[in-house]
Amino acid sequence: MFDYRIYEQIERYLAGTMPAEEKAAFEALLLSDLRLADQVQEHRQVLQAMQQYGQRQQLRHKLSTIHTDMEAAEQGITSELTAWKVFFKKHAQTMAVAASVSLLSVFGTLWSVQQIKEPVQQQTARYIELRREVEKIKKEQRAIINGIASADATTPAPRTARFSGTGFAISPDGYIVTSSHVIQGADSILIENKAGLKFKVTEVHRNTDYDLSILKVEDPAFAGFSKLPYTFKTASSDLGERVYTLGFPREDIVFGEGSLSSASGFEGDTTSYQISIPLNPGNSGGPLLDDKGNIIGVINGKQAGQEGAAFAVKSSYLLQMVNEMKEREAGLAVSLPQQNNLNGTSRTQQLKKLQDYIFVVKVYN
Amino acid sequence: MRKSLYETDEAIMEGIRNDDDRALAHLYKLHFPMISHFIISNSGTDDEAKDIYQEGVIVFYEKIKGNSLELSCQIKTYLYSVCRRLWLKRLAEKGRYANRIEDSENYLSLEEDVPQHEENERQFSMMAEALEQLGEPCRTLLEDFYIRSQGMQDIVEKFGYTNTDTAKNQKYKCLQRLKKLFFTSYKPEA
Repeated sequence: MFDYRIYEQIERYLAGTMPAEEKAAFEALLLSDLRLADQVQEHRQVLQAMQQYGQRQQLRHKLSTIHTDMEAAEQGITSELTAWKVFFKKHAQTMAVAASVSLLSVFGTLWSVQQIKEPVQQQTARYIELRREVEKIKKEQRAIINGIASADATTPAPRTARFSGTGFAISPDGYIVTSSHVIQGADSILIENKAGLKFKVTEVHRNTDYDLSILKVEDPAFAGFSKLPYTFKTASSDLGERVYTLGFPREDIVFGEGSLSSASGFEGDTTSYQISIPLNPGNSGGPLLDDKGNIIGVINGKQAGQEGAAFAVKSSYLLQMVNEMKEREAGLAVSLPQQNNLNGTSRTQQLKKLQDYIFVVKVYN
Repeated sequence: MRKSLYETDEAIMEGIRNDDDRALAHLYKLHFPMISHFIISNSGTDDEAKDIYQEGVIVFYEKIKGNSLELSCQIKTYLYSVCRRLWLKRLAEKGRYANRIEDSENYLSLEEDVPQHEENERQFSMMAEALEQLGEPCRTLLEDFYIRSQGMQDIVEKFGYTNTDTAKNQKYKCLQRLKKLFFTSYKPEA
């Protein structure tokens, strides 16, 4: 019975509800009785711990309730979303890294492939055939404008040529020569000269080794060209000889002049000359003439990345080809011109006479 | 609940000081997503997030209650810092060392608050254990009297003692045993 009274006393002391006199007595007792002092200390600690523990339990319980409430409130709205959201949040960074790595590698690969390819491309494309790819849009627009201007809806707008080159007459009988590559893959071919004379032609002979093709005018109304003013040179021309050409790198005829710079062509090709005339796509198939008005070759290409290195097939091979054609089809009337009317005249006079026999070759496919 | 009541940190703290449970609930809901995101993006689960967050809120709550909080930053930052520290510790205990913690917020180092909290925790777990070992009816008797502050008369009726003296005697014996149990395992830090 005595012990629990002491406890009560201790508790009253700790709670501070002891009357002043009793408290003074108790404190005096504490000083003398060390065991009692220990008891009080321990008692205080246990009670404190217990009370705090109780509060903590309550707080925890409260928080858990709040949490459950919160989850219950969220459940309805975002139960579907959260799983995905959590996954995304967790992996967003990884995904971002993966995405950027793949982007980087794609573009890196594209770029490096380009880098590797470029020199190769240059090497393979050193030789450029000079056929002109007609600026389609420009022409189409013009056709449309013409259509509006003429206000004639019944006639369909003319189809435009896909490619164009140059060609020239080799015989008054209606034979024309041009480069094979100009008319490659052609459905139909049309020729037209400066004067506006138009003929439909077909290919009658081809030699891809020399890159030459012979065309013939189809038109039944065609009565033949007038006498050709030039002749063909059978012998080789000399280095340094002044040469010139006429061609259609654009819609109008263009004159180009230079000199014969080498007796062999691209990579030592002995069937060609190297000439120093600035040439452009569309010049292919044009005649190469010397000062005296002899045709000495047919323009067919140039070397990319090299200034003033153009090539023309020698006229002797053209003649050889004409003979081949004659042999193949006996009785074919190809009368090559024998008389040169250009020799001794000025360059401008020569060009005036020549113009009518130079054609733009339009290729449709 | 009107949110506008607790728009500022001060309002929330004031609410907690006044034992306003709505302030606590508001605070709890306000910052849980942040901690949840932090824990989950650092290899934790939903349950662990809840655990750690509650610990963090408790630290904060007790600091306010004890008036020992000198908040030099937002509550958000404080909570984040506490939870971050607690989580790192938890990770270390699990033997999983996070080589890189993904932080979404600034944080403070909190040299004192967390160790203090851990010391308290240790004490509480000892107390819980002691109470567990004490068994019934001692446990309920003590809890009723000291924690729930019920009067002696109520206890007498509840437990069916003949008079208050018996109850007091019983309480004395129980407390005696609890002291023994508690102090054998718990040594307060010197």
